[in-house]
Amino acid sequence: MYVRPSTDQIIEGACRELDEQVLPLLAAGSPASVLVQQMVQLLRGCAVRAAHEIAWMHEETAAIVEAVAGIDDDATAAALAAYHAAPAGGLHLDEVAHRYDLASQALGAAVEAAYRSGDVAQQEALRALLRARSANEMAVVGALELVGRG
Amino acid sequence: MLDPSEMPARLAAFLAAEVPGAGDVTVHSYEVMTGGYSRLLARAEVSWRAGGDEQRRTFVLRGDPPPERTLIFTDRHTEFEVVRAMAANGVLTPDAHHFDDGGRLATPTILLDFSPATSLLVDLAGRGAPVELTGPLAEAAASFHRIPLTELPARLERPASAEAYLADRIDEWRRTAATHVEALPILQYVAAWLDAHRPAPVPLSLIHGDFQSSNLMVTADDRIVVLDWELAQIGDPREDLGYFKAVAQAAPPDLIGLDEAAFCARYNELMGFTDEQVNPAVIAYFLILGVIGTVRRLLEAGAAFSRGENTSLNAVFNARNVMFGQSMWLQFSEQLEQAFAAAKEA
Repeated sequence: MYVRPSTDQIIEGACRELDEQVLPLLAAGSPASVLVQQMVQLLRGCAVRAAHEIAWMHEETAAIVEAVAGIDDDATAAALAAYHAAPAGGLHLDEVAHRYDLASQALGAAVEAAYRSGDVAQQEALRALLRARSANEMAVVGALELVGRG
Repeated sequence: MLDPSEMPARLAAFLAAEVPGAGDVTVHSYEVMTGGYSRLLARAEVSWRAGGDEQRRTFVLRGDPPPERTLIFTDRHTEFEVVRAMAANGVLTPDAHHFDDGGRLATPTILLDFSPATSLLVDLAGRGAPVELTGPLAEAAASFHRIPLTELPARLERPASAEAYLADRIDEWRRTAATHVEALPILQYVAAWLDAHRPAPVPLSLIHGDFQSSNLMVTADDRIVVLDWELAQIGDPREDLGYFKAVAQAAPPDLIGLDEAAFCARYNELMGFTDEQVNPAVIAYFLILGVIGTVRRLLEAGAAFSRGENTSLNAVFNARNVMFGQSMWLQFSEQLEQAFAAAKEA
């Protein structure tokens, strides 16, 4: 298969054309113009995801599994067991996303357990994982522009 | 509602039947408007004869999109009754005059007065000192927060108590995470954090539910007009303050943050609240808590798109904004924790 230009480059190219060739033809503020601006923002996010999301999910999953492994909580242990029971190794997006989802369920359960127990160090350790997750999400969102607002 | 070739005739027939004694109903113009994230909007110039006099009105029609294009599901009849109650209690808002269940105007629709006031966002773009509007914003919020519950439409659900409401609102974060199409551990974190830091309660009141700059207008004498009551419900009034501040982080300016002490002082004076009940830290708490209603609806719409039940790209666009929210909730909760710890030491 061909991989150059990369998926993110192609999507960025399409965004550029929409911005420079299509948007100027539409009345400013019209429903069509708002929709195209929304599409451009969504496509730019897709370009970032195409380039990084599998790696980011891998990295986050590994960090979560390591962090929650020793937590003494039934819900967390059950979620972690479900993660370990899932098929490992597949690199297709759905497979990686499934494992990421299972690990994320364990993270959610662990956070609730940390607040129930009042374990401040545990809370901070888990919050660091959430901050890393959010940083990746914000790289996808990019500059938030609420087009069509008001 | 989006078909200008069909709607004038429908609207004329509707008004001829709805307005007592109206004859010669003429729709002079019908124009689809942008600006509504979740509803279809149109502006119509209309005239009719009644008792020998010509009446000329400008209406805004606010109706439901088709189900497959619907971002959030809310009830136009409830919104109609809320708007009527607001106008009757002196809240500055365009009054609602008519409601149609969709039988005559093609989709459930309310007819509102057109407001000649200026969009707050437009006003702010040209205003030298936006802080001038901090006081009027407090007055606008208090104008509907202090309406007695007995004056509100019976169809609005009454929570058992302020404490029970707050607990349920916090749990809404957990329910939203549990029912989404993928795990949302940041929402579970928010729920746990909110539970651990509950503020002193205040009495329940009507809350707007989408109190943000894009739903506000400004009159020539700097009073604030409130629009779009589709998410109104009975709840904790501080949710609206937090919600306003939350949206302002993504789309400045933050009119509350420009002079938070002055805002709180004016609001508390009008509401009869103490500094413990409403202060900058409490507003920051509600900056997080107050957005769950909208967050839930946005995530539900995004999930529906993911399951192939919704084709609106708008749903994906708005669900993506929740990611910005997550970043903000993490940041504010950490800052607040430090502020609470400092206050405890002091």
